[in-house]
Amino acid sequence: MKRAWAWALLVPPLAMTLLLFVGPLMYLFWVSVHEASPSELYGHAFTLHNYVEVIGDSFYLAIIRRTLGVAAAILGCCLLIGYPVAYFVALQPARRRTYVLLLLLFPLMVSNVVRAYGWVAILGRRGVLNTSLRELGIIDAPLDLLYTTEAVVVGLMTILLPYMVISIANTLSTLDRRYEEAAQALGAGPVRTFLHVTLPLSTPGVASGMLLVFLLTLSAYVTITLLGGPRSKLLVSMIYDGVTAFQWPHAAALAFVLLALALMLTALILAVLRPGRVEGTGR
Amino acid sequence: MTRGSAVGRTIRGSATAVAFALIIVPILIVVITAFSPGDYFEFPPRGLSTRWFVEFFRLKEMRNAFTLSLELALLAATLATIFGTMGALFLARRRGLLAGLLQSLFLAPLVFPTIILGVALLLLYKTIGMPVFPGLLLAHCIIGMPYGFRTVLASAQALDPALEEAGQSLGAGPVRTLFVVTLPLVWQGVVSGWLFAFIVSFGELNTALFLTGPGLTTLPIEIFSYLQFQGSQLVIAAASTLQIALIVVMVTAIERIVGMGRIIRAR
Repeated sequence: MKRAWAWALLVPPLAMTLLLFVGPLMYLFWVSVHEASPSELYGHAFTLHNYVEVIGDSFYLAIIRRTLGVAAAILGCCLLIGYPVAYFVALQPARRRTYVLLLLLFPLMVSNVVRAYGWVAILGRRGVLNTSLRELGIIDAPLDLLYTTEAVVVGLMTILLPYMVISIANTLSTLDRRYEEAAQALGAGPVRTFLHVTLPLSTPGVASGMLLVFLLTLSAYVTITLLGGPRSKLLVSMIYDGVTAFQWPHAAALAFVLLALALMLTALILAVLRPGRVEGTGR
Repeated sequence: MTRGSAVGRTIRGSATAVAFALIIVPILIVVITAFSPGDYFEFPPRGLSTRWFVEFFRLKEMRNAFTLSLELALLAATLATIFGTMGALFLARRRGLLAGLLQSLFLAPLVFPTIILGVALLLLYKTIGMPVFPGLLLAHCIIGMPYGFRTVLASAQALDPALEEAGQSLGAGPVRTLFVVTLPLVWQGVVSGWLFAFIVSFGELNTALFLTGPGLTTLPIEIFSYLQFQGSQLVIAAASTLQIALIVVMVTAIERIVGMGRIIRAR
């Protein structure tokens, strides 16, 4: 009886996850190793051509490079701005810290399309920035700020920044102060204490923040399209274009190239930061 | 944490000011623009008016998108929370390799690139001929499930097992124990999981991008296609402001019901 009850709890969520998450991904992979077909979703013959086409083509390699470049720029900016903010948040008394974190969490709940629209309103030719600069007499003609790779970096960076701050702040605020006090008692200045004690101890937060920001950057199609326009396409835009052109095997292969990038970079971030070596803090 | 030097304080203070400006200002501009009386984007607006909100509810496709998003979020959050709660209650007292594996599986959609899930689901739906609304609902259910799962798991693991044992030793069957003992004790986790799943579904883009159909579009996707194909008309600012307003209501609800500390931890 008790056993049957336990199974009754497990089966529905497990079936749901297998049927709507694991299953569709396996099917997508199956389609990615089949040839295209003019009438069906995919052809019958097995082929690796779809992958060769992506990895062996300089056009796609350039897109992959641009995707990685944009992701690296976003990660760098998020870390550079996010870390001091997280430190600031972690130093606040507990009650005020909750309020500040809530203020950071709220924008994450607003749809990304709304937040991207905010940046369109700022960077557009008739946007806030161009009108202000013209009224101040700094420029004569509006600058083309929108539909550039820089716009994508700035927009996505600010959209994802709260994830980085919250992750690092959570680790920093659980940090045992005595480590830093010990370092300073042993004669280390504030900079050395930070570099050799605080920073290494906060790697679990840094790692989880970087992973979140990186993974969300990869699939942020709407933000990339609204701010980057047709000239700054990234890998995710190619997947969308493939789907809308009904090139299923091609789009499926692109999706798995994106997934492979995600896994490789995740492994790289974890290997470099080794968050597991910090015991007792973070997750 | 040490407070460190004056240089450190300056860096932290200015980084925080810059970060909050970059995060909040774009959202504020959208909200302020929504109340502008003119025909075109102008900042700051010359006056205040609600004409774009009136226009929003007059446009049939906007109104439909808003109701569809609401229905979808209500249903998806409820289903996701039920399934997530079941998984969490099953795993709460289990240890070992298999339990760890199941836990990762249930949490996976949280970090998985959702755009790939969207493509995979569209392919599946095309193959089996799934209609638009149930397809969207199931997609949002999978995306929302980890939130309910995680919040209930945290509540259930903090629970004293003696309470459930007491219920059973007093003769209550497992079903009765669940409804009379366990659920009342983990309800805060259930409620915050539901609210998170609702919020995520209401703003979701990456699967809805593929799974919405002609005449059946969610509000975020409607905003996106307006921006892409009809330029930034001000009715979009009103639509966005309504999206934000609903989130404010939800966050206030979470705060009232379960308290803020839990929201931060749930994320």
